Amino acid sequence: MTTATIIQSLASGLLMGLLYGLVAVGLALIFGLMDVTNFAHGEFLMLAMYITFFLFAFFAIDPLLAMPLVGAAMFLFGALVYLFVVRFAMRARANIGMVQIFTTFGLAILMRGLAQYFFTPDYRSINVSWLGGKTVSIGGVFLPVPQLVGAGVSLLAFGALYFFIKKTDFGRALEATREDAGAVALVGIDKNKVFALGWGLGGALVGIAGAVMAMFFYIYPDVGASFALIAYVTVALGGFGSVFGAFAGGIIVGLVEASTALILPPSLKSIGIYAVYLLVVFIRPRGLFGSM
Amino acid sequence: MSETLLETRGVWQRFGGLVANSDVSISVGRGEIVGLIGPNGAGKSTLFNLIAGVLPPTQGSIIFDGHDVTKEPATARCARGIGRTFQVVKSFESMTVIDNVIVGALIRTTVMREARRKAHEVLEFCGLGARADVLANQLIPSEKRRLEVARALATEPKLLLLDEVLTGLTHTEAEKGVELVRRVRDTGVTVLMVEHVMEIVMPLVDRAIVLDLGKVLTEGKPADVVRDPKVITAYLGDRHAVSA
Amino acid sequence: MNDAHTKRRRRDLIVAAVLALLAACAPLVVKDVYIQNIMVLTLMYAALSQAWNILGGYCGQISLGHALYFGLGAYTTALLFTKFGVLPWFGMLGGGVLSALIALGLGYPTFRLRGHYFVIATIVIAEIALLLFLNWDWAGAALGIDIPVRGDSWAKFQFTRSKLPYFYFALAFCCVAFLITWWLEDSKWGYWWRAVKDNPDAAESLGVVVFNSKMGAAAVSAFLTAIGGAFYAQFVSYIDPDSVMTFQFSLLMALPAVLGGIGTLWGPVLGAAILIPLTELTRSYIGGSGRGVDLILYGTVIVVIALARPEGLIGLFSRKPAPKGVPQ
Repeated sequence: MTTATIIQSLASGLLMGLLYGLVAVGLALIFGLMDVTNFAHGEFLMLAMYITFFLFAFFAIDPLLAMPLVGAAMFLFGALVYLFVVRFAMRARANIGMVQIFTTFGLAILMRGLAQYFFTPDYRSINVSWLGGKTVSIGGVFLPVPQLVGAGVSLLAFGALYFFIKKTDFGRALEATREDAGAVALVGIDKNKVFALGWGLGGALVGIAGAVMAMFFYIYPDVGASFALIAYVTVALGGFGSVFGAFAGGIIVGLVEASTALILPPSLKSIGIYAVYLLVVFIRPRGLFGSM
Repeated sequence: MSETLLETRGVWQRFGGLVANSDVSISVGRGEIVGLIGPNGAGKSTLFNLIAGVLPPTQGSIIFDGHDVTKEPATARCARGIGRTFQVVKSFESMTVIDNVIVGALIRTTVMREARRKAHEVLEFCGLGARADVLANQLIPSEKRRLEVARALATEPKLLLLDEVLTGLTHTEAEKGVELVRRVRDTGVTVLMVEHVMEIVMPLVDRAIVLDLGKVLTEGKPADVVRDPKVITAYLGDRHAVSA
Repeated sequence: MNDAHTKRRRRDLIVAAVLALLAACAPLVVKDVYIQNIMVLTLMYAALSQAWNILGGYCGQISLGHALYFGLGAYTTALLFTKFGVLPWFGMLGGGVLSALIALGLGYPTFRLRGHYFVIATIVIAEIALLLFLNWDWAGAALGIDIPVRGDSWAKFQFTRSKLPYFYFALAFCCVAFLITWWLEDSKWGYWWRAVKDNPDAAESLGVVVFNSKMGAAAVSAFLTAIGGAFYAQFVSYIDPDSVMTFQFSLLMALPAVLGGIGTLWGPVLGAAILIPLTELTRSYIGGSGRGVDLILYGTVIVVIALARPEGLIGLFSRKPAPKGVPQ
């Protein structure tokens, strides 16, 4: 193993990690807002990847251009899921935690089934996008352009999210609601509207991630499941609900995964991520940046 | 004062830079009803939690019934005979009232029939007999307070720690509460109660200990304590709230 | 009051005995091997979900990693038999004990975690075990283990001609899991577990040793789950990591209890009786097309039950009104 291989691996790991952060941040946002874990998050990602694929297949829209469209579509989808499903799960009078877990979980299975029905279980891929297959060399390190652009998109998205939460009225309402939903209701902010927008925003973020990932991953009905666990680990690693934690968690997960792949056979590469998660929560039971 | 049941010796509790209790030494005699009072932030709840064993003191020791229990966790102190209630009620919401109390009774017996009999007895004593088979989350707030007391009594405590059990109750409810505390003492249980509002507790307690800014300000007979200028000054900020 | 309690517990036993008797007679009527197969799986999942319910339902520690114990039971039995010729009964017991010990070992660090951190830790630990077994050559790695046929006998717990012996074992397993839960429910442990689930701080103030309570629940739960795994290995006579240790099994153990009524004696039985036939029937009658209709139906049922009956389907049977929310 040469230094060059190590640097090469870590660089790819970093790019992948930024993407993992982007995939996970919607989950963290929703959890922070209302203490709900969306167990259909992976299926949100799957849907976003399919939307990207079909925009490409039917309208020849490149994933790069499709990004805002997919984000908007997923915003709408997220908000609708809240209004028509999650809102009712939150009204449960018994077992509230379990009801939320299994409602979103049932939704995940339903979405997977619908994807198999309408999109068939076939593996799809976007093979001729503008960026697909291109690489650049930076200081002797070869990096695939789609991943590089994806990492850039992730950084932009996190920047925009930060600006949004800190500087806009709605962002402040979001912050206030996550701190004290009861008090917010008193000042006349409609909790449901904030929650719906929060779900929309979470959907939009995973939508953008899906558009990026559609450039270099196969698209199939179960694709979400493989990324969902990574997303949960990412969010928990950073500390549930912390947006910054999701960002840092993503980078750690990407780097750990790449380092593990250097040492262990590829089939075991996820073990590193899982081991690091356990190590972190055993030492800090609330994740790295969790404060609750 | 008769034989000492509980004693804290030079107890300190620091949270980071904040000193919640500094050099607190108090004692409670067997069979007494002692009131622990003081304005908000005086360190009453912290001292209470130190005695109950929720956390160990930074410094000092706690002697209960002749044993140094400073390092013992809450469960062990419960076994020794310290029972407690919580300021914010912590019922087992998904369990029935009787089952809540059975949990407490099980520390003295593992025979279910016996635990159940004991629990019914305690519920009757606390005036909750008719509510035995109701889910705890369906109780009204004053009943939940009684349930807390019943649960603690089921552990057959020598010392019962009551954390603001009378606060927030209507006048009638509070009077019933006072009567319950007296009956508890009459069964031979020593009572240490934290209260914020003096009017309610003063006629009830044999002795009052006043905490202020984490220290013992004064202690003595309730009638003397309320006339103590130091106490009046300490409470002045809340004075109007007290007499309201 | 005492009488009402005793009566209710006696009624639970009588209903269970009647149901078990009816189930035992079912093969006289049901000759179809396919349906018998579904009955075996339903009984097995009812027992497994009962085991899950002890830790997840009564004690409130939501594990979505019970596939680990299921897999350990299956692998211990299969490995001992194929490598050392140890009879499956001993493998079953060994797998159970091993799983209970591992559950205690894992409980030590994980029971400090709360909420989602705990749930994700259980998933992650099971996934690590899955990956290790997929790469463990001695244990057959991804290819798995074919349990060789040595002729039908109870000693070797192998039956190739008829499924009925498996059916009766599954029924017995289900009854044992039910009885253990029935007994624990009205014991010190049962009360401690529910207290720990509802409010650990209050439980501690009443002398409940929270950590030990969780450990006890984990050990019993893991032991029973491994028995189920060992049975499954004999029943299907071929195992690989993907067929006994995946997340899907963890879910299939949790779902019946949750949908039937979490933390209740009858919840897992009721949930399994509805969910498992539904899963199997949809999979074979409409799932064969590979078009996901089975998943659509399955997902819809979960969402609808979770939303309409948050306390579980068992709520349909109780005469008391559903518990009201805590007044704010």
